[in-house]
Amino acid sequence: MQVIDWQRIVKKHGPLIWQTAYRLLGNHTDTADCFQETFVSALQFSQRQPVRNFPAFLARLATARAIDRLRQRLHQPLSNAEDADWVAIQSANPGPVQQAQQHELAAKLRKALAQLPPQEAQVFCLRFLNNMSYRQIAKQLGIKTNAAGVLLYRARAKLKQHFQPAIAGDEIQKEKVCL
Amino acid sequence: MKNNRDPLTKAVKAIQQTPVSTGPPQQTIDSTITKLTELSGSVPPATGHRHIQLFERLKAVKGFPRLAAAAVLLIAAGYITGRLSAPRPPDAQQLYSALEPAIREELLGEMKQYWQLSSAVAYSRLKEDLDQQYRQDLNRFATQTFAASTAVTNQLLEELIKSINSAQTQDRRWVTAALQQIESNRLQDKNQLSHGLATLAVYTDDQLLKTKNDIAQFVSNTITPNLSQTPNPSNRKE
Repeated sequence: MQVIDWQRIVKKHGPLIWQTAYRLLGNHTDTADCFQETFVSALQFSQRQPVRNFPAFLARLATARAIDRLRQRLHQPLSNAEDADWVAIQSANPGPVQQAQQHELAAKLRKALAQLPPQEAQVFCLRFLNNMSYRQIAKQLGIKTNAAGVLLYRARAKLKQHFQPAIAGDEIQKEKVCL
Repeated sequence: MKNNRDPLTKAVKAIQQTPVSTGPPQQTIDSTITKLTELSGSVPPATGHRHIQLFERLKAVKGFPRLAAAAVLLIAAGYITGRLSAPRPPDAQQLYSALEPAIREELLGEMKQYWQLSSAVAYSRLKEDLDQQYRQDLNRFATQTFAASTAVTNQLLEELIKSINSAQTQDRRWVTAALQQIESNRLQDKNQLSHGLATLAVYTDDQLLKTKNDIAQFVSNTITPNLSQTPNPSNRKE
């Protein structure tokens, strides 16, 4: 069995996992739970077989757990703005309106990711949020590189469909402004 | 994701630009480490999994059948070569004669080592016994010597006391004799002195008497002529 210094692993890769989970979940409470679940899953996995690349493995686990949590949140009645960590909007760089729009978009994307099949959502997150290559994603998920590309394509297509009404709504709003 | 006006791209960017703290709170880290420690101590390692893992690894190796076939061929070739090049079974007598000196030497060496070890053990045991016996004898001798020396010392002390007492008695005797001698000398001197004094008194009395007589003679001689001239009444009385 692989002997792992979990204290060192948590301290070394904890920030990356925290950022990955927080970007997807958007609040401290869920992120903390996801953080702990990720390391517990990693421990259970490492007792079955050795782990070669801890950062990528933990990122994949964190993404999977965060997507699971997003899906759970989707089925709960209070799932939108109430769960948001409004303290995070206090940054001084963009304006409040832009912040609100970004926050709305992020929440919408989270909701859309929760509605995707888990593997597609994972591939999407690993590609665009963790900047992993197709090869790394395929290796982490135990699939072929082509399969990873297919899953990513499907995920993007479904997400675009999900965002389509928003585009239409924007265009109507712009027309209204022009009129 | 190249189109910046695409809402999906914007959403992804929004998520990417979500302000995130640099790391989890210390409390979360501590609780996670605690939970991991508990779980790593409580969950038993999966048994029998290594075979599956090995099998899966073998399956994952590309060209495994070819490698396996090559390995089998190599093993077979090695076995055949070994069989062909193996020497004939040696003669038992020859083997015996070849091995006997070595076995004998080794046996002798082992026996020698065994005897050395046994003798060393016996020597050490004998040494311990002798040492113990010597200590016991030494203790007994010391006890007896001490007792004997105590008796001799007492005897010598008694003799010394006796000699001191006899010397003191002798001294007393000598002192008494000296005192008696002094007393006798004193008495003798006293007698001699009394005799001398008596003699002196006698002589003195004689001399006084003689002097008296002389004086009387003288007086008589002197008075006689005077009486012839004038008689004196006082002389008559005398």
